[in-house]
Amino acid sequence: MTVNAVEIAGLSKRYGRTLALDDINLTIGADETFALLGPNGAGKTTLIHILCTILRPDSGTAKISGHDVVRQSLRARKNLGVIFQEPSLDARLTVRENLEFHGMVYRVPRAVRRQRITELLELVDLSDWADKLVRTLSAGMKRRVELARALIHDAKVVILDEPTVGLDAQSRSNIWTYLRQLKAARGFTLIVTTHYIEEVDEADRVCIIDHGRILALDAPSTLRAEHGREIVRVVPRDAAATAAIRARFPTAEERDGDIAIIGADSTVTETLLRDFGPQIRNLSYDRPSLESVFLALTGREIRDQPATRGMRG
Amino acid sequence: MGALVGVYAIWLREIKRALRDRGQLIGGVSRPLLWVLILGIGLNPYFRAEIYGEVRFVVPYTYLQFIFPAVIVLNIMYTAVQSAVSVIADREFGFLREVLVSPMPRSLVLIGKVLGGATVAMVHGCIVLILAEFTDVNLRLGDLFLGLGLMFLLAFGLTCLGIVIANRIRSFEGFGVFSNAVILPLYFTSSSVFPLDPALSGAQTRVLYPEWLVTLVEWNPITYAVDSLRGVFIGFNQFDESYGPIVMVIMVVAFFAIALWDFRRT
Repeated sequence: MTVNAVEIAGLSKRYGRTLALDDINLTIGADETFALLGPNGAGKTTLIHILCTILRPDSGTAKISGHDVVRQSLRARKNLGVIFQEPSLDARLTVRENLEFHGMVYRVPRAVRRQRITELLELVDLSDWADKLVRTLSAGMKRRVELARALIHDAKVVILDEPTVGLDAQSRSNIWTYLRQLKAARGFTLIVTTHYIEEVDEADRVCIIDHGRILALDAPSTLRAEHGREIVRVVPRDAAATAAIRARFPTAEERDGDIAIIGADSTVTETLLRDFGPQIRNLSYDRPSLESVFLALTGREIRDQPATRGMRG
Repeated sequence: MGALVGVYAIWLREIKRALRDRGQLIGGVSRPLLWVLILGIGLNPYFRAEIYGEVRFVVPYTYLQFIFPAVIVLNIMYTAVQSAVSVIADREFGFLREVLVSPMPRSLVLIGKVLGGATVAMVHGCIVLILAEFTDVNLRLGDLFLGLGLMFLLAFGLTCLGIVIANRIRSFEGFGVFSNAVILPLYFTSSSVFPLDPALSGAQTRVLYPEWLVTLVEWNPITYAVDSLRGVFIGFNQFDESYGPIVMVIMVVAFFAIALWDFRRT
């Protein structure tokens, strides 16, 4: 019998008058890659902190590999490898000393500890940096040390809270390459929260939460198919063409001279090419992205970006 | 057994951090040198009185001898309280979380941390012992062990105090100011740099010194730590010999309990 990696039942947490988590029910299977997606303040970090046993829920239960995070927190922690949003290495110790510390605190026998440190440093390409002080490492390298550290003990569930935030695009994709390699080598359940929606495609299942509730939970492709909207954009040659196309597709919207046909299926493109071919200057097709799924479900962009307009002089 | 490895890991980390902190090491060496060489030697001639034409020391010791045990206490105080800076650093730089999600009980984490800080403070206390020869203090082996035991008790208690303070103050700057505001007054009012003459009765002492000062000295727990180390190293006690160890044990238990209570809530 395999134990589920994570079992959450009726989980609620309130901060003052804000309900951060509202009756969450969720099961995550062994070896699954699970992504948690939500805007700022959606309750992601609250949920992660409860799973990490550093925050107590108001009601409901959460179990890591069958161990209750409140009543059996020490056992639950043994099965957990956590990588927090903020780096949590000791910058004054070397890479190896940080990993040794972790191994000792998690009671990994000396021989196993030494062997795993060597192997894991190899896997994240940091063997040459083992005896350098952590403070001399780049942000991306520090993240890799933390990936290795989470697996020094027998972590069955690895939780990453925004693992790639603050890294450049190249380091971000590197981190995911390393994660895939580690997962192939060791096998564990991966729970990840991220702001970078393109990273979520790596996951087996995506859970979109907002205002403490689960809005959608499914494979990325299914979510796209169900909630995503395909958009065909047309740039007509002249005003006459614009009018003709708009007459054919009354629901289309006009945006800066383009025509955007939202919720288009494959027949739309065919019709356009067949009937309006010579009148079209440009035609483009937007695949439904998780970004649009997210927007459709929450009514918000994934990143609440501050307005930059007017900042430039 | 496994739990001890974890405590050892935390202890070892504190030691390594202290060894890599040049500033702390330099302070640990320069502080006793300043106090003993400059203040001790400078005030040495004034620490005696003339009675009927006969030159006598106020207490039957030179000022260097008198101040020597107090400088040990000072060095332990500074280092122990400063070692709690690592508590603030751990919170600030995220390392605290690594420990909080580990399967180690909070109490053992705290014990490792306090033992680490206390060890470093002990080492700084021992740096002062090197000056013993120079200050005309004869260290006998038995006294030395007894003294080291008392020093450890003091170091442990003060490290807990440092952690208690660190838990209430969130910034490095605040901690620096506050710890100085705690350390120096405690040190100066511990009968470290001047004696409350044991030959005088309580009433006479109050005539010589203002009452508030005498009260401060008597209520200051560090007074009894200094007194017991003086008793061991130079054989001079102003108070009953048993006070020192009793006060220090109470300090250790009380501050450790408060520190643990704080830590359990994080």
